Amino acid sequence: MIRLNDIVVKFGDFTALHDINVHVKEGEFFTFLGPSGCGKTTTLRTITGFIEPVSGSVVVKDRDITHVPIEERNIGIVFQSYALFPTMTVYDNIAFGLKLKKLRKAEIAQKVNDIARKVDLSDEQLKKAVSQLSGGQQQRVAIARALVTEPAIICMDEPLSNLDAKLRVQLRNELKQMQKDFGITTIYVTHDQEEALTLSDHIAVFNKGVIEQIGTPNEVYNHSATEFVCNFIGDINLLQGEAVAALNAGGGQVDPAAHNYIRLERIHVNVEPKPGNVVLPGVVDSREYYGLYIKYYIKAAGQTIKVIEKNDGVNIYEAGQAVKVVMDPRDVMAYPVA
Amino acid sequence: MTKSRSSALSPALLAKIFGVAFFAYLFLGFMLLPCLNTLASIFTTQNASGEVDPLAVIRFFFAGNMGSYVWNSLKLAVCLVITVNIVGVSIVLLTEYFDIKGAKILRLGYMTTLIYSGVALVTGYLFLYDSNGIITTLLVNAFPGMNPNWFSGFNAVLFTMTFACTSNHALFLRNAIRGIDYNTVEAARNMGARPFKVLWKVVFPTLVPTMFSLTVMTFITGLCAMSAPTLLGYDSINPEIVRLAGSSTADEAFPQARAALLSVILALFTIVLLTVLSSYERKGHYLSVSKTKAKLQKQKIDNPVWNLLAHIYAYILFVIYMTPVVMIIIFSFQTYGAIRMKRLDLSNWTLINFFGTQDYEYLTNRGTYKTRKGSISGLFANEATLGGIKLSFILSAIAAALACVIVVVACNYIFKNRNKKSGTVLEYCLLFPWLLPTILICYSYRVYFNSEDVWYVGGTNLYYAEHVRLLIILAYTVVKLPFSLRMIKAAFYAIDEELEDAARNLGSSPLVTFLKVKLPIILPSVLAVFALNFNALFTEYDMSATFASSYGTTYAMVIQSMCREEGLYGYNVNASGRRCASTVFIMIVSGVILYLVYGVGARDLGERLEIRDRRRKRLEKIKSFGKRTGEAHT
Repeated sequence: MIRLNDIVVKFGDFTALHDINVHVKEGEFFTFLGPSGCGKTTTLRTITGFIEPVSGSVVVKDRDITHVPIEERNIGIVFQSYALFPTMTVYDNIAFGLKLKKLRKAEIAQKVNDIARKVDLSDEQLKKAVSQLSGGQQQRVAIARALVTEPAIICMDEPLSNLDAKLRVQLRNELKQMQKDFGITTIYVTHDQEEALTLSDHIAVFNKGVIEQIGTPNEVYNHSATEFVCNFIGDINLLQGEAVAALNAGGGQVDPAAHNYIRLERIHVNVEPKPGNVVLPGVVDSREYYGLYIKYYIKAAGQTIKVIEKNDGVNIYEAGQAVKVVMDPRDVMAYPVA
Repeated sequence: MTKSRSSALSPALLAKIFGVAFFAYLFLGFMLLPCLNTLASIFTTQNASGEVDPLAVIRFFFAGNMGSYVWNSLKLAVCLVITVNIVGVSIVLLTEYFDIKGAKILRLGYMTTLIYSGVALVTGYLFLYDSNGIITTLLVNAFPGMNPNWFSGFNAVLFTMTFACTSNHALFLRNAIRGIDYNTVEAARNMGARPFKVLWKVVFPTLVPTMFSLTVMTFITGLCAMSAPTLLGYDSINPEIVRLAGSSTADEAFPQARAALLSVILALFTIVLLTVLSSYERKGHYLSVSKTKAKLQKQKIDNPVWNLLAHIYAYILFVIYMTPVVMIIIFSFQTYGAIRMKRLDLSNWTLINFFGTQDYEYLTNRGTYKTRKGSISGLFANEATLGGIKLSFILSAIAAALACVIVVVACNYIFKNRNKKSGTVLEYCLLFPWLLPTILICYSYRVYFNSEDVWYVGGTNLYYAEHVRLLIILAYTVVKLPFSLRMIKAAFYAIDEELEDAARNLGSSPLVTFLKVKLPIILPSVLAVFALNFNALFTEYDMSATFASSYGTTYAMVIQSMCREEGLYGYNVNASGRRCASTVFIMIVSGVILYLVYGVGARDLGERLEIRDRRRKRLEKIKSFGKRTGEAHT
């Protein structure tokens, strides 16, 4: 569906993207994930045509669109700020692209009303100014406006970043449902790893203008290809020498010369060790109560080890309490020291 | 890096070439060359034997009394900075920061200078405060030892301009103080700071950048003062330039070159001050870092004595601001006799200063009565006044609109090319007139275009006959470019860049994006700039006085000349009354324009739709009530 081949983008002397290669399949929800300034938005803007690469090509459905003007690419965009035209009503915002295509008035009305129904905007809301809508409703208008021209692809640039936490979670689910309903290929940019993991079919993790890993959410989370990905996605423990030695002493095969990481949820407190597991004695230093789960900071093997335990309401440990930290050396992800 | 498809298209390229040519023509032809000509004229003066003596004017400057004009202007500017800041800061603090009873009414009074300014304001003050003015008469009766001629020269100019020049404080300092995060005030109080300490240490520092800009602008205004010194009799630079411009070598030594030298001296001062201002602005301002800014709450003055004094001070200022306005309105309905005697005649009110004509009967030297038909005429019946208003209206409207159109087109280019040299060059070209005093530009136009040798205006003498109107429009437009640019550019920069990207993504061409997306967003700002430009130009006196010509007699000049000749040979008997009436008329026009622009025009689409919705519901309610009443009757 979409292929980015060896894309290089430069701003003056600064190289923003180094040989970016991506393949997005039809109907897929594909996320560009990474910290600020890593090149994810630049890649998106290259696909949409706002930025022309120095070299490489953008191919959509086997057609090279690298030098095709923005308006002829048939790619819809939902902007971070939504970019809704403040001087137009909701209806006029959605109809803007259709009017430029010089469709008949009746046809425009039909298409606008259809898409409004699909994104759950009422007739009353269509008559309003965008400033009269809530953040969530504005987002629906932005999606409707991007979809009404029936683009082949829809690109979303951090569309949830302006919303409060609760609404963000609610709209995240709606977004995923909408994408499924429309079946449209979606490229999504975010720096929020939770958002990326919950929404995406595939994720490309960006860092300093290069893609560190492309994979399913499970692959990038559980089998992070690089130390950067492993650190960027989710919370993690970097195991120090004493802990590594203890793991090896317990039968593990952990390379002491590498950087060894283990995810928080792979470590358990006061459970019966399974074969191959290693038990480290520790003392609870502090805890953070999240309701659904509890995060413990435990002093063990000469370092602080973070552990997440499901909150069962019974096994809750206090600061200063002695505990057994149980982990499986096979859960350790090791990366060579750069 | 950003793609621009249109640059490859020939119409766009043609438009670009036309644009470059137009701005080059505007800058070189109407900003640079006339001013360079003025500069050159200083050094091409001929002495008595007809030889060119480049330093003759400069020697004259140091030998004669020309320096006193510069000194007087500097004295006025320095004093004005002090008094305007005291009054300006006071009115803002009294209405926005301290809890003063009746602040809304006070604010209205303090803001009257927005609709009542320039020559109308000066003549209004003169009407009240000159030797036989109403207030002076009252004061002399109360204090017999008082000098009735106190309101003349420097004192009068300083007094008048102090209250006339606080409009910018009322607008910009008010916005600055409203932008203060109230949490910072609360934090200071929480840490033990007393209210005065909070004002001095927390509030004032955030106002310093705005106050610095206002101080520089006030200094320049004082330096370039024209109408107040002219009408109140103070020898400063600008009135002298106008006098010299109208003089000839037969009367005095090289008047034109002296006028040019004084203009250049003003320009040098202005350039230095604006350079200081811009370097200060580049250092950056105090910006609130608060993400949840709290609205400033008014501070109660706890000490009852200070509270009382603050209230007294606030209302004294209010009386000073409002008295001329109220008196002008009242006297616009008085007979010419009452106005001439400056005594309120409560038993005799008239509309003659506004509408209709009356005959004037007067006693001749021979002891017989003679009647001058229609010599008392209303504002809307007097041809000369109407002509002046019409001319001012047309010239101001055209110039205000032209300045806005030029700046909008330029801003669109500057915004698109803000990282390129071409954008910066265009911006500086349009800001160029800001460096030059208005008088220098007008004087330069008058001299440079008073010739048939200027090829790029088709060899037409623009100072000749009716052409002078075009010259006035050009001067008005050029003078208003920098202000328009600063205001409209800010509006352009406030546009979310993603809107343009969104429009292009949806298939919009750059022209359609500009017309349908960007222009509607900046339109309220453009209209506001148009209104402010129009209001300033409609009553302006300085520029049209520099162009003194019977074909370019604007409203302010008509009124002035009529008042000078008031009652002479039985003509223009009620000129002062008509002036009061026209001031009232202008205040109404300016007020309506400001309301339309800032009140109605500033509403966003949401507010407009809400108002329309409320109106529709109200109408439906009335209809259903009518229907019910009708049914009840049947």
